[in-house]
Amino acid sequence: MNLGFDEDQELLRSTNRRFLEERHPITALRPQLEADSNFDRAIWREGAELGWGAMLIPEAFDGGSVTAQPLVDLVAIAEELGRVLYPGPFLETNVVADAIATAADENQCKAWLGPIARGECLATLCLTEDGSPDLRSIGIEAVTDGDNLRLDGVARFVAQAHETDLLLVACNTPGGGPALVLVPTSSEGVSLRVSTGIDLTRRVCEVSFRSVVVPAANVLGEPADVEGRLTRIFQLTTVLQAAQSVGASEQLFQMTLQHVKDRVQFGRTIGSFQAIKHRMADLWAELEGARAATWYAALAVADGQPDLDEAVAVAGSFVRENAAFLAGESLQLHGGVGFTWEYDVHLYLRRAQADKLLYGDPSWHREKLCQAVEIVAEGEA
Amino acid sequence: MDVRVPEIPESYQGYRSRLQAFIAANLPELSFKPKVGLRVPDEPEDVVKLRAWVRALHEAGYVPARYSESEIDEIEEKIRVEELTKTGVPHALGNGLVAGALKHFGTEAQKAKYLTGLATGEHIWTQLFSEPDAGSDLTSLQARAERDGDFFVVTGQKVWSTWAQFSDYGYLLARTEPGTGRQGISAFILDMNSPGVTTRPLREITGTTDFNEVFMDAVRIPVENLIGEVGQGWAVATASLSEERGQVGQSEASDPVVDLMRLAQRSLRPGGRASADAGIRQKMGALAARSRIHRYLSYRTQTKALQGQSELTDAPLTKIWFSETNLDLCELGMEIQGAAGGLAEGDSRVVDEGRWQDGFLYARAWTIAGGSNEIMRNMIAERGLGLPREPRG
Repeated sequence: MNLGFDEDQELLRSTNRRFLEERHPITALRPQLEADSNFDRAIWREGAELGWGAMLIPEAFDGGSVTAQPLVDLVAIAEELGRVLYPGPFLETNVVADAIATAADENQCKAWLGPIARGECLATLCLTEDGSPDLRSIGIEAVTDGDNLRLDGVARFVAQAHETDLLLVACNTPGGGPALVLVPTSSEGVSLRVSTGIDLTRRVCEVSFRSVVVPAANVLGEPADVEGRLTRIFQLTTVLQAAQSVGASEQLFQMTLQHVKDRVQFGRTIGSFQAIKHRMADLWAELEGARAATWYAALAVADGQPDLDEAVAVAGSFVRENAAFLAGESLQLHGGVGFTWEYDVHLYLRRAQADKLLYGDPSWHREKLCQAVEIVAEGEA
Repeated sequence: MDVRVPEIPESYQGYRSRLQAFIAANLPELSFKPKVGLRVPDEPEDVVKLRAWVRALHEAGYVPARYSESEIDEIEEKIRVEELTKTGVPHALGNGLVAGALKHFGTEAQKAKYLTGLATGEHIWTQLFSEPDAGSDLTSLQARAERDGDFFVVTGQKVWSTWAQFSDYGYLLARTEPGTGRQGISAFILDMNSPGVTTRPLREITGTTDFNEVFMDAVRIPVENLIGEVGQGWAVATASLSEERGQVGQSEASDPVVDLMRLAQRSLRPGGRASADAGIRQKMGALAARSRIHRYLSYRTQTKALQGQSELTDAPLTKIWFSETNLDLCELGMEIQGAAGGLAEGDSRVVDEGRWQDGFLYARAWTIAGGSNEIMRNMIAERGLGLPREPRG
């Protein structure tokens, strides 16, 4: 029985924490809050040496994990990146790497995985038109053009597309089923519009495809297994989003705890009022729950456990919603200063709200959870 | 990370079959209907049958004495819990809290006598902590124990004592020094048949009688029945309570999340089955998540215990999660039934023999007893988060 990081993963976590405290503290975000370009590639390349892009990539392609559970290793890093609201497409790059690695086409692996693992290539996900994980919302149509595919349409809520080199695109094929294809961001016919979003620490983009030519060599896997690959993609986005949320929540909770210990009103610290103490106790208890749900989902996906769908839906429905709630409570408990631009609380609040809605909102995951429970109920009947 | 529960090897099938045969041959027929929680029969004959059942289980080796030296085979233990929980009949009688106290503070003679008695069903125990004016603020308890030669003479009133009406012994906290606060409290073993002990059953909101008031009027307790030293009672109580809180909500007979889904699949509403209602599904999903997270949190607690890193906040955390989720699950179980959710046990049309309604009413025992959830939140805030302690009035 071990639901927690092992020693190697703890070391990975503390190494990353130290690196980020030094190279990318939360203050590093300040000058970039209202700029389109909000991301420093130099730091990403340094992070690559700490494994930011390598965990889900086989050693043969310059990747490698710390333990036999690469996704759990990645969760340790994701929590630390979440803590400082890291803006880069960390989650997306790793999910794309996994999609390429599991499709296991030698040429594709050689072309992309090495550069991703070394931090030279950043990638993101162009999946649907409405940002949901529903395949009916795929907004890009592919037609056959000789040996190539030609793409037209739009993907929205694409994280940090303007800072990436490679897009993993979901499109509908003439055969009817979806396909996954790799498209360099600089391809002819690809255009980007950076959306104005509530989250100031990370951008989402609208990515339009106009007659974008994709060679057959860039199609990922066989048509029959595309739905399975998309399922895997959304399992990974859920686990990694949850891990980043937990990291951010932990940091914000500690900031809030310090505030209620320091702030004096009516001649006593506000943290001595039971109205505040009980709220802090509840926030802590829910955060412990969020962490347990995240770790369990990571483990279930890493080991392919039979309750994997259930575990992912638990994390997807609870963790980010709880993070958004915690962020709101933290702002409230900070009082007036929490309402100022200068304080960092709103940066966490904004990220938490935006994150909650991306890659499947909590209601979507709750419905998935019901479906998973129905399967268990049937199996036991 | 690894939380896989080990598969039960084929070689244990014989053990399970023997246990199942034993249960079939020995399970008592009771007038007492199994219900959720720590419930007590109404009929003394049921208690006689239950004692015989527990003794038979113990003699056949199925209920070992707690903290005994003998090695416990974990897989056998798992099979035992599974099969015995399924019966719905208790295999431990009374309140076993005293076991933790004896483990940490008992003399060898006390351990030998009472830990065995607990396991054989010979001794049924009750807990004598709370008083009418000492609930959450347990340290203000006022029952007095005065030394008189080789005896302590105890006078006072206790309440919320489960099983007291059928108990042989009570695990008693009384004040050996006057005043309030943790100092001057001592822990005792009280023979419930002593002259001066009066037990009055209390009927609760469930309509059942699971708790009692206990009155002690100049009751004489021999000094060898002191647990720990004079004045050490608070430490004794804390040690036993922290063992208990960690166990709240474990070993459920069935999966409440699956039960709720099955209920929704059987329940018709105007538009169709409740399980097809989007609003109901959203609520079920939310509670399914909380219920599963309670399970994951217990994996966290077990992990920390195995690594010797248990924290004071572990037990309050799981207690709050379990008790509040349980209440919410029962309420939703009633809502799923529509207006019929307002029926209760005894009505010919009630669903699941009224288990959701009884569960809903009994759920408050878990949010209040064993340290109310408000006290749990104080513990988390003060001892876990380091916020200032509440001032005493």
